[in-house]
Amino acid sequence: MQLPVLNDTPSHAEHGAKGGCAASSCGTTENQMDSLPDSIREKVQNHPCYSEDAHHYFARMHVAVAPACNIQCHYCNRKYDCANESRPGVVSELLTPDQAVKKTMAVAANIPQMTVLGIAGPGDPLANPERTFETFRRLSEEAPDIKLCVSTNGLALPDAVEELSKHNIDHVTITINTVDPEIGAKIYPWIFWKNRRIKGIKGAKILIEQQQKGLEMLIAKGILVKVNSVMIPGVNDQHLAEVSKVVKSKGAFLHNVMPLIAEAEHGTFYGVMGQRGPTPEELQDLQDSCSGDMNMMRHCRQCRADAVGMLGEDRGDEFTLDKIEDMEIDYASAMEKRKVIHQAIQAEMDSKRLEKAEKAQQHKQVPKLTTRPVLMAVATSGQGVINMHFGHAKEFLIYEASPDGVRFISHRKADQYCAGDTSCGDGESVLQVTIRALSGCEAVLCSKVGYEPWEMLEAAGIAPNGEHAMEPIEEAVMAVYKEMAAAGKLDAKPEAAARASA
Amino acid sequence: MAVKIIESCVNCFACEPVCPSKAIFEAKPHFLVDASKCTECEGDFPVFQCASICPIEGAILDSFGIAINPPGSLTGIPPEKMAEAMAELQSH
Repeated sequence: MQLPVLNDTPSHAEHGAKGGCAASSCGTTENQMDSLPDSIREKVQNHPCYSEDAHHYFARMHVAVAPACNIQCHYCNRKYDCANESRPGVVSELLTPDQAVKKTMAVAANIPQMTVLGIAGPGDPLANPERTFETFRRLSEEAPDIKLCVSTNGLALPDAVEELSKHNIDHVTITINTVDPEIGAKIYPWIFWKNRRIKGIKGAKILIEQQQKGLEMLIAKGILVKVNSVMIPGVNDQHLAEVSKVVKSKGAFLHNVMPLIAEAEHGTFYGVMGQRGPTPEELQDLQDSCSGDMNMMRHCRQCRADAVGMLGEDRGDEFTLDKIEDMEIDYASAMEKRKVIHQAIQAEMDSKRLEKAEKAQQHKQVPKLTTRPVLMAVATSGQGVINMHFGHAKEFLIYEASPDGVRFISHRKADQYCAGDTSCGDGESVLQVTIRALSGCEAVLCSKVGYEPWEMLEAAGIAPNGEHAMEPIEEAVMAVYKEMAAAGKLDAKPEAAARASA
Repeated sequence: MAVKIIESCVNCFACEPVCPSKAIFEAKPHFLVDASKCTECEGDFPVFQCASICPIEGAILDSFGIAINPPGSLTGIPPEKMAEAMAELQSH
């Protein structure tokens, strides 16, 4: 049997109606990267944050060396430190540059697949230039096999570009939520600028100018720029297509739209004031309508500023200050070991990429189905196969199967952000919350499903499926899609999807 | 004549480098102001530098013991709304 696993021709009929999809930009990760210049693709294709398939193999870490911030965002609360929280701006232990270097080398020696070190807070890295640049300077000397990244709100960026270009940093992420000061004033209550706190539209205008200037300067220096935007329904959701256009025209290689995280218990403005985040469907619609390169970051996990490990996991507990204190790291020999492991991973990824490309080629020759697209959820712990028990999954990967093949859409969290007990505020069980998180999906593929969730999933119109354990995700999703098509389930609008969108 | 940092400080370091008198220092459990060095920025800036970058309402007091950034002034969250949200959370 020939299985189409690559979405090699964009489905214009489906996306064209929304008016957003440019040719060659709706494919899978691999297709997306094909449209990038070689020089950029070279830099990002093994980066776990930028490459959907690489994130199954390579790990990343953030070191929290940058506590100070020079602006306030309505989705951030500077008081936060909770071990159960996983979102940007939250950390457990602030590190000095010296501690950060030690921690990075300890992680690199113990998790050899860790290839990327980022500084992302908990404040703004460029509002802490000495701590941030000291960390980068030492790591580029002492651990040259680690890629360095930094993210910033952009206010101090123009002054930092020169310094950034000295430290072998080839990716900078700027969070740009708007290019309109009036919208900016609804997101940023104040900035600290030239020795004053500046509030409202005036402050937002300065921030926007600095972000755009910084973006242009980085591009001029040949440094890759990714732009992150937080999608805030009713505030900037209608405006982000414009942001996307502006930043791409200036040379940002990637625009990553992330959902607002806002809960009252976070104590943020948006959380307390009841601002909601987007539904998975709204997020997907926006990401699709701006499409283009955004497809590359559908697996973004909005990591904590001290996250360690594969995306979606956090092994920070293994590398606390007291633990790394006792570790003796021989980095030269660790680097040898890392090199061998990286080569093996590379070989495996290359062969899988080749296999996918061949199957896509074969798919071109198969007569096309005319069935509607279907969303499916997958439980996996990595390596690109279905290998996780439904009840153990903290998140699900969402794939869309259609006659064009299988494409990765997003991940959805299964547990609560602060899952301390078994119930959340509404009296829902964790299981109910999980099932709600899967709204819009018609099947869930995992290695096993227990009896209770099986019944609840079926009742919610989501078919549980444990028949494809240990199989490659995309092939299994396509196999299930074909079974559904053969069973005549793909002709009418499904009950579950109709209910979810009601 | 000096400002004071109180226990609601979250140790974010933002104020330390902007102080023109180097009066702010890292301490446990939170940053402190050396009252003998603090000039309240007089002669250097028209506004308190530490309190102009501090993100925490109420964490810095002026020499009369009054919060330079009162509740609601930085986050934009009306204090009664914050109290309401916190009461709601504690009831669970």
